Amino acid sequence: MTFSSLILTTLTFGAMFSVLTLSLNLQYARGGMINFGTVAYFASGAYAYAIFTQDPPSGLDQYAFGLGLPWYVGFLAAGVASLLFALITGWPTLRLRGEYLALTTFAFAEVLHSFLLNERRIGNGSVGLSNVERPDPALIGVNDMLAYAIAAVALMLMTAFFFHRLLNSPFGRTVDAVHDDETAAQAIGKDGARIRLQVFVLSAIPIGFAGALYAMITTLVAPAMFTAELTFFVWIALALGGQKTILGAILGTLALVFFQEAVGAIPFESVRAAQIAASVEEVVTGILFIIVLRWQPWERFSRRTKA
Amino acid sequence: MSEIVLSVEKVVKQFTGLRAVGGADGLSFSVRRGDFLGLIGPNGAGKSTTFNLISGVLKPTEGKVSLNGTDLSGLRAQEIAGMGLGRTFQTPRAFPSLGVLDNIMVGAQNPNEGPITALLGSWRGGDAKLRERAESSLERVGLIDRRHDLVANLSGGELRMLEVARQLIRAPRILLLDEPTAGVDPSLQVRLTGLLRDLHEAGTTLIVVEHNLTFLFDLADRIVVLQNGGLLAEGEPEAVRRDPVVVSAYLGSENEA
Repeated sequence: MTFSSLILTTLTFGAMFSVLTLSLNLQYARGGMINFGTVAYFASGAYAYAIFTQDPPSGLDQYAFGLGLPWYVGFLAAGVASLLFALITGWPTLRLRGEYLALTTFAFAEVLHSFLLNERRIGNGSVGLSNVERPDPALIGVNDMLAYAIAAVALMLMTAFFFHRLLNSPFGRTVDAVHDDETAAQAIGKDGARIRLQVFVLSAIPIGFAGALYAMITTLVAPAMFTAELTFFVWIALALGGQKTILGAILGTLALVFFQEAVGAIPFESVRAAQIAASVEEVVTGILFIIVLRWQPWERFSRRTKA
Repeated sequence: MSEIVLSVEKVVKQFTGLRAVGGADGLSFSVRRGDFLGLIGPNGAGKSTTFNLISGVLKPTEGKVSLNGTDLSGLRAQEIAGMGLGRTFQTPRAFPSLGVLDNIMVGAQNPNEGPITALLGSWRGGDAKLRERAESSLERVGLIDRRHDLVANLSGGELRMLEVARQLIRAPRILLLDEPTAGVDPSLQVRLTGLLRDLHEAGTTLIVVEHNLTFLFDLADRIVVLQNGGLLAEGEPEAVRRDPVVVSAYLGSENEA
């Protein structure tokens, strides 16, 4: 892998996962909600995109729905699917606090994963959907990698703008009040559960879009791509970047993706060397993680930029 | 006599192993429109619990509370607040993420606080008017010079006034204040006295829990005395002050009041 393709890959996946980190940041740092089921909203978006755009089933396909619609319809459907899933999962759970909400969201994500694995009419079971349509990047005259890097960065910037606009408003003020002290917020007539649901549902929309983008990049959606590991990856990115600022969340994600891609790009002479490198990677990841949490460099940087 | 706006009927609040409010056969009292009621009693008598029962933070184990004839049993705290009931807390509760001015502005009933308005950006005009109202609330409690401060920089007494101002912007028809003078310096207390007189004259129904009896007896029309969760005495300030039962249970000696 050349250096420029390393940068492009980092930018593509870093920006795409930043959308998830930004949403978690909104839910957790501003809304006080611990969502350990992030991957489920991402998967909803990816599957919705695939189902809306793929051709109807033929041959050995076990899925039942292939709507064959244009990519932009699938993209919008992805946002709607994630929103609906957030509404369904948020409505009964958002009266719960802290670790209870964390457990419930985690359980919902596992339920969705199991459903997609076993209900083959939706997503072909463990095989997944591999006929995902996507727009042809040649239309704008660039190669695939560059086109999706641009798309991911654009989606990230739009998400950041969307959340910024949402929070720098009377709505954001009320969200902060509910987060600070719900009893006091109720004494001035604010419905804490309703406001949490609004934050939860709105922040799920960009996650769905990111899912659609992921499906376009990989041209495959399968249950194995959407495991709890992805949720924790995003949480680690959020911890690295610090939860207070939008820029911190983005920098934390980019750094984590860059590190993983960079280690993966090192060429090895033998299988043994690659095995050793894999172990060393985990050790180094741990050490870096501790260093970053101790000194919070990105958070400092983003604070300074903000000031 | 004007109509009854708040009635507490045979209310009992039972915590595990402890009857916090209710006494022998439930706590009952009522408040008429425009009343200024003082709620007093020894520590642990159930004054703050009574406030929590009225405002819906707690639900009564038995009995009921009605506001303007509506039974509050099935209503949540924010719905009761929406009916025009305001309250402050014994321990001041500010929103530390928000600055002083935002702490007041968030208190108002605001049609522009939804997420759609936020995305459209159509809240700015309404917010400018809200800011003026918040500044006038801060002016009334003497905190106007602190409007750009962080709440972390306010003293305990100032936090109390902040909470009062946050209720003022909502213009509640009935206002419950829990120990408003505790930790408040004499000059702010004078301002608070004037403020409560103005609210009373403007027709706001007031219920005030207070240990500073000089302050309270000067302002209130009527006093309710609680002891061990039950009603010990009720009446005009002068009568209560002389009531031998109240003197022995709470006041200690007549001179202190």
